[in-house]
Amino acid sequence: MAEQKLGNPAVVGLAGFGLTTMVLQFHNVGWMPSIGPVVWLGLVFGGMAQLIAGLQEMKTGNNFGYCAFTSYGAFWIALALMLLGNKYDLFKASTEDVGFFLVAWTLFTAILWVGSLRIHGAMAFTFTTLLIGFILLDLAHFGYPGLTVVAGYELMICALAAWYMMARVILNEIYGKEILPAGKPWVS
Amino acid sequence: MQKITLGFASLALVLGVTPVLATDDPSAANATPEEVVTKVNEAVQYLKDKGLAGFSDFNNNKDARWVWKDSYVFVYSCRDNVMIAHPLRPDMVGKPILQMKDDKDHLLFQDMCKAGANKDGGWVEYWWPKPGEAKASRKISYVHSAEVSFKPDIQVGAGIYDDKMSVEDLNKMASQTKQPKKDAP
Repeated sequence: MAEQKLGNPAVVGLAGFGLTTMVLQFHNVGWMPSIGPVVWLGLVFGGMAQLIAGLQEMKTGNNFGYCAFTSYGAFWIALALMLLGNKYDLFKASTEDVGFFLVAWTLFTAILWVGSLRIHGAMAFTFTTLLIGFILLDLAHFGYPGLTVVAGYELMICALAAWYMMARVILNEIYGKEILPAGKPWVS
Repeated sequence: MQKITLGFASLALVLGVTPVLATDDPSAANATPEEVVTKVNEAVQYLKDKGLAGFSDFNNNKDARWVWKDSYVFVYSCRDNVMIAHPLRPDMVGKPILQMKDDKDHLLFQDMCKAGANKDGGWVEYWWPKPGEAKASRKISYVHSAEVSFKPDIQVGAGIYDDKMSVEDLNKMASQTKQPKKDAP
């Protein structure tokens, strides 16, 4: 019983985080006119699936993953509900209000970013691009709306980096060797 | 006491009747530049408050807020090259705008995109039919950018039909009507 192999919840968390982030950027750069897919993915994949993955991280003893996945899962659910709320005039959030929501998430991300630097290169890279993306989105909501597009392309890189980490765990296991390296931590 | 009540009642009656009389005046059918600037600014604020979810409110004209007299508010994106909302022309919604020409072969939205990029917006002259007419008249529209979450480069416009007013005079007027707002505490 004790030898039973367990899956790594991070693969689901990274999948949901990466995919939902990617689809929001399709909207932000103007390829996808509607925000509809972001709302539904935000509730289901980036939200529910990532949140559950985050809660499962608790049993692995990984506090970083526990906090990050659970929180970003909650981020997507909150964002999707906020967009739905505006549609139905329920606790409406103006552009500036969404800006403050994003500023709070930027501060939170900055804390995890410090931790990510000591995990491995791929994690440090993902969180660096995520932090920069949040800062660009903050500015986009406080007077520089054009930066939404810059943030869009930048966060696509972040989403791909998250998928890279997902691919590492899955492919390295299947192929039985380290075909995708994690890279050295930026801070030792 | 009864006299006072009666006085108020007749006052209310007069006030209530006045707007009805005002609509008999034919000039009331034409929107004024001041109204256009006010409506555009109101729409910019509305979109800032409501975000993306506010776009559809301009199309269905649910509360009749964005169509008045012979004018209406339209919403578009230059970057995405698309008409987002147009209360009187649902056939134009979702369609590209930048290559659209008016009756004088003028690329009208290219001018609007330039004017709307100014900090205080701007007026643009082109030819466009009045609501319900087929023939184009000279139209001057005021356009202004709007800040919307996760949607860069949204512009809002509305216009008047007039043969005389110049774009320069209207730009002066628009920047003057914006001034008091900045000075307010």
